[in-house]
Amino acid sequence: MDISRRQFFKLAGLLGALALTPKEGQAYPGKFATLIDITKCDGCEDEPIPRCVRACREENKDRFPEPIKPIPPYWPRKTYEDWSDKRELITRLTPYNWLFIQKVEIDGQTLYIPRRCMHCDSPPCVKGCPFGALTKQPEGNTVIDHNICFGGAKCRDVCPWQIPQRQAGVGLYLKLLPKLAGGGVMYKCDLCDRRIKRGEEPACVVACRERLGENAVYKFGPREEIYKEASERVKNEGLFIYGDVQNGGTATLYLSKIPFEKIDVKLREMKAVFQMPVVVKNRYLEEINPWGKVILGAGILGVATGIVSGLITRNKKDEEV
Amino acid sequence: MSKIKRHDLIVILEHWVIAFSGIMLIFTGLGCLPLFKRYYITEIPGFRWSADFYLLTKLHYIFAIFFTFMVLFHIFYHALRKDFGLLPRRGDFIASIKMILASFGLMKEPPSDKWLPEQKYAYLGWTFAISAVLITGILKVLKNLEWVIFNPKTEALLNLLHTLFGGFFILVFFVHIFFAVAIRANWPLLKSLITGYVDEEYVKHRHSIWYQRIMSRKNKSQKTRESELDQ
Repeated sequence: MDISRRQFFKLAGLLGALALTPKEGQAYPGKFATLIDITKCDGCEDEPIPRCVRACREENKDRFPEPIKPIPPYWPRKTYEDWSDKRELITRLTPYNWLFIQKVEIDGQTLYIPRRCMHCDSPPCVKGCPFGALTKQPEGNTVIDHNICFGGAKCRDVCPWQIPQRQAGVGLYLKLLPKLAGGGVMYKCDLCDRRIKRGEEPACVVACRERLGENAVYKFGPREEIYKEASERVKNEGLFIYGDVQNGGTATLYLSKIPFEKIDVKLREMKAVFQMPVVVKNRYLEEINPWGKVILGAGILGVATGIVSGLITRNKKDEEV
Repeated sequence: MSKIKRHDLIVILEHWVIAFSGIMLIFTGLGCLPLFKRYYITEIPGFRWSADFYLLTKLHYIFAIFFTFMVLFHIFYHALRKDFGLLPRRGDFIASIKMILASFGLMKEPPSDKWLPEQKYAYLGWTFAISAVLITGILKVLKNLEWVIFNPKTEALLNLLHTLFGGFFILVFFVHIFFAVAIRANWPLLKSLITGYVDEEYVKHRHSIWYQRIMSRKNKSQKTRESELDQ
């Protein structure tokens, strides 16, 4: 019996060590990426709406929410999120505006930063959605299924950039638990999923090229090529890059002449809703997944100890149980 | 009053480790839904931390360690020992309905073995609820580790199923608690999950089949001892 107990502990130690052995959860990149060169963006200042923003709105207008009115509040609270009266707002992300140009003044220079979903390699929104409404596509983009989304807004809370935006009074929750749970539907850029699956480029990329030609801000293409080009330009032109390491890597790379640390400081000073933190840890990969390994180890240990104890005690039963 | 042993330490430990970790998994799981901010849970003094989804998920994982260990231990330990007394047998379904009606004073309880017929069906319900959350939960862990990459539709279905099975788990939990706490006749069983023992009088009345078996075994071993002494 003593030997068996020692064997137990040995086995437990071995399995525990196995479970805790570092094996970095690798983010799985998709096929495509976008390069956003903010050194070239002028925010289409001479036009009523930036071309990329207009193209995005045009492309997705059929999917914009049409909430019921009056919108029921999120009981027991008396509030709800409603952007339906601000459909024309283009200075921030809303359920009706999935891409906007963020204007920042730094050292006498004006920067125009197109902002939308970064399409993370290891997206916390997808991992965290309890309803499976968010999926990571093989193309590298993250998509919200508006028919399944319950509008809990957890995806926004776990997103390092708070990208998804909620509209109340629309979606599945109205049919299931309109009063008790759910808050609407979440909306964000899906990198023109339908277009890229047809082999086309996202609408914003096409619209920018129509205006600026070879000098376009956006470039969409195979991930390896985009990453290679960005890295060469960083090396050769002394530019700064954003999106390659943030949150474990993303399918969106920004290039700038101004360090992103400075840009983020400025955005924080401006109390911008959508900031650009330089240090963005992927908390699923770094904080949660190590415990996942322990769960698997505990499962193996449970099987092993169950087998050993069962074998030891099976002939010592004094009563049927 | 004489006592009869009903559970050994391993069974008691299994029950309470699964119960405690299961309750914590329900709490952290509901927080992950998300529901806590909306229902002011995060505003209760001492519960501010429950607004952090990453912390809730981490805690969910930590309690899942104990849950997974104990459930898998339970399956293999009892399967190898052939402890199949809790699995429903022919006639248990009708008997369990009679037991439930008797719980509300609508009829007389039928004679029972060590496990009440309704307990056997509750065990079946738990088997389904626990297997469903455990299997989908482990697949989610593997998916989040990115050791297994599912196609988008399967990933979506998996996330949804874990939530739906979690709802079923909560339902089974409340039914279980109701029968354990609200039905007075079951209190000795609840007590035995702490002490391991039940009163002989209780066994004689409620578990008469089990009691007869215990008595016949007792008599048999006594006779064997006597014949050994005679020789």
